[in-house]
Amino acid sequence: MSDNAARRLSRMFYRISIAIEAGKDHLSDLDGAIGDADHGITMSLGFMAVNAELAKLNLDNTLPSEVFAVAASAFLDAVGASTGPLYASAFRRAAQALKKDECLSPADQAAIVEAMTTGIKERGKGQRGDKTMLDAWVPATEAAVNARARAAGGPEMWNSILEAAEAGANSTRSMVAARGRAARLGERSLGHMDPGAASAVIILRAMKDTFDEGEREKSGPR
Amino acid sequence: MTVKTLSARKNGTARAGAEAGTEPIPLRYGDDPYVWACWLYYEDHMTQGDIAEIMGISRATVNSYLADARARGIVNISLEPSRLSSLSIAQELKRHFGLHDCLVVPSDDNTRPLIDRLGGAAAQALAKLLKSGDTLAVAWGRTVLAIAEQASVPGLQDVTVVQATGGTAANFAYTPELCASVMAGAVNARLVNITAPAVVSTAEIRDMLLREPLIESQFDALGKANKALFGISSLRPNSTIHTSGFFESVSLQQYLARNAVGVVAGRFIDGQGKPVAGPLDDRIIGISLDMLKAINLRIAVAGGFDKVPAILAALRGGYVNVLITDAATGRGILNADGVTELDQKLSQRPKIDHRAALPSNFRTHIKKFLNDPNDVVEEMLDGVVKAHAGYIRPIKGSHRALVARTGPRPGKVGLVIGGGTGHEPCFLGYVGKGLADAVAVGNIFSSPPPGTIFQCANAASGGQGVLFVYGNYAGDVMNFDMAAEMAAEHNIEVRTVVTTDDIASSPIEDKEGRRGVAGNFFMFKTAGAACDRGLSLDACEAATRKANARTFTMGVALEPCSMPQTRRQNFEIGPDDIEIGMGIHGERGVIRDKMMSADEIADRVMDRIFSEMKAAPGDRVAVLVNSFGATPLMELYILFRRVEQRLSAKDIKIEANWVGHYCTSLDMVGASISVLHLDNELTELLHHPCDTAVLRIG
Repeated sequence: MSDNAARRLSRMFYRISIAIEAGKDHLSDLDGAIGDADHGITMSLGFMAVNAELAKLNLDNTLPSEVFAVAASAFLDAVGASTGPLYASAFRRAAQALKKDECLSPADQAAIVEAMTTGIKERGKGQRGDKTMLDAWVPATEAAVNARARAAGGPEMWNSILEAAEAGANSTRSMVAARGRAARLGERSLGHMDPGAASAVIILRAMKDTFDEGEREKSGPR
Repeated sequence: MTVKTLSARKNGTARAGAEAGTEPIPLRYGDDPYVWACWLYYEDHMTQGDIAEIMGISRATVNSYLADARARGIVNISLEPSRLSSLSIAQELKRHFGLHDCLVVPSDDNTRPLIDRLGGAAAQALAKLLKSGDTLAVAWGRTVLAIAEQASVPGLQDVTVVQATGGTAANFAYTPELCASVMAGAVNARLVNITAPAVVSTAEIRDMLLREPLIESQFDALGKANKALFGISSLRPNSTIHTSGFFESVSLQQYLARNAVGVVAGRFIDGQGKPVAGPLDDRIIGISLDMLKAINLRIAVAGGFDKVPAILAALRGGYVNVLITDAATGRGILNADGVTELDQKLSQRPKIDHRAALPSNFRTHIKKFLNDPNDVVEEMLDGVVKAHAGYIRPIKGSHRALVARTGPRPGKVGLVIGGGTGHEPCFLGYVGKGLADAVAVGNIFSSPPPGTIFQCANAASGGQGVLFVYGNYAGDVMNFDMAAEMAAEHNIEVRTVVTTDDIASSPIEDKEGRRGVAGNFFMFKTAGAACDRGLSLDACEAATRKANARTFTMGVALEPCSMPQTRRQNFEIGPDDIEIGMGIHGERGVIRDKMMSADEIADRVMDRIFSEMKAAPGDRVAVLVNSFGATPLMELYILFRRVEQRLSAKDIKIEANWVGHYCTSLDMVGASISVLHLDNELTELLHHPCDTAVLRIG
């Protein structure tokens, strides 16, 4: 197999970085409405640092769990902020989950989403309904767990994950923020999508595209 | 659009009436003024002023015709494909390897040898990158000489060029001495040669030579380099490294056997960019890889397909942050590192920009003193470290973690403060004797990461524990908590006081949820004094908590601030609106109101403060009237005047006051008022001497 698991993950981070970069201004605008307008810049900085650090790895003898571990510390060191600890904890949890099985099967992919959500929840001590990124991550995880339970294939699973995340992010428009800087705005946070939830959807879409592509290569004509 | 066309016609007729000579639209353009304007501009190369004259319309209308013509697709501007693809490759290289900058020479132009073309491109880049006062370390090689020969950067002052390696007697045209001296001539620089051989016979001779005062001083000059220019050599049989005879071939084989793939500034590296040990290591006189990595701007110029593994290794090792190469090599490097999206991207058609043209006097960006917006924090810190060298120094070379020169000492509780940048002089201006011992610096409006904060805790620790004091923001709390966990693992006891002085940010029932703003000033002062007096960690924490509980701040913004990266305002505020309850990050306030007089604003703030501060007649307070960045002292004094009136009317005495820029929010227009309700202990701590860049008492 020319395309090993670590390489796929490295490409996944690369895609995330491009997608975040493309959505940078939009994310910052969302943040300007209810926060300090830097969410797009911070996320883009973090994923650029992840890419630069992954570029230094020899991916031919790197385990997927190591890719996530490297991503965790690169992201944290580059940004700090609130997204730093949250996504660093997410990646660290994903690394731990992958140590049990490094082959990146659809079940592993579901485990990644689940572990990332756990990491974010633990670090931010938040929950669904707080108008944060968890409003996208928690439904995405539920979709992943359900898909795994009914032994759905990769593409089907990722469709349901993304659908759930998008619906979750949209639902933040009608929420009043309970955490983060937006919390202090009270009702004025109503009507705006949470930028953290919006970037979570971008990340999940890039993950979906990466894993779907792997699926197409496997089943496509030779 | 319709409006514009109509007014243009009106203009046209008006002027046609006035000047009988104005032509109607010539037949061949049909009835389309857009096509006519475009033809005159793009085909006849006329200026917009001349076109206005001929068409009998205003210059602004010509300008909007040209812009509309692009939006409507009448004119398509296309980049020549090979140039477009080299731009895309440069952008991907920059992104993928986190480079500072990247320049890619198009591959189609085969009229000149690659080395000449790279040399020419690098010479042009050098004109942009090299600045007065720089010290440039110059390595040797064919490419480097090609750059030096084509470079010409006039008008620079106080530039030094240092030869990066020792010299050689070898019989080739691009020796280290020659490369450095041609470059020095091209940029009008002082030249420092390394007057020792690049490779000597034994390690003892090398050590002896390095101890010679003359050579020592030359190495000192090399150590001051802030920019470096070098080629990257492969270890293929026909490479410069082999053919020059610079290194003995026996030794070369040994490096090859240990998986060396390239040479950077005379040092061997493997595929991951790690140094490869070998027989020459102790016999080389020249810049080391660690020295190279410490240089701020590291410009590598290299191309050719055989060099792909060597360049990739140099990039992975972090030796390069400006890469100049050609399109084929650039694409090769990306493909070798598994980047394939680029090829799909290059085959896509460029998008057409349909945005409507804006009038030329419409401002979309705020003017700022900037170089590269991405470097704004680093460059500011560079300036801060130099400007306040008497007070602070970097911990382990990092400007993100700064420690007081006279601060930490055994037996004293260490005080660590910190937060995002954009609030200057917060937080780094409050580091020094009698105040904070160390400060952790984040990105703009973003908490520093835990590693940086831990370094500060470590540097501030005097064995009696460390106190963290910072504003209450979710990001700061997470990062400082992680740092406290790291400190605990290193047996440093950490206590934390999260400041919550902004009374507008949450109702009083949720006091703990409030954010920390300019009133931080009083908490830092109290904590610094308590620590400096040698109080226990418990006592320091208790005093700081008391100051926090008795400090009340409220801010008002008149205009938003703008981020350096976007140079755009980060929220909108109506022409007659103000934001009451503004924080220090440009977050929206809690209430939006109509603009009112200074006294009315001060009263709104003081009324809120009095509703929470239970001060009796005769009590004493400290007052801070703080600018958010763009509000001048003149207006701050007007506010202070009213604050003083309100306090004295209640017979509350101002024990001490500060008026000025103490905790800003970039260029926001606005101000905050903080009042600290003093008691005896806090008064004593307030007057305790301190000496920092922005606050000196006693």
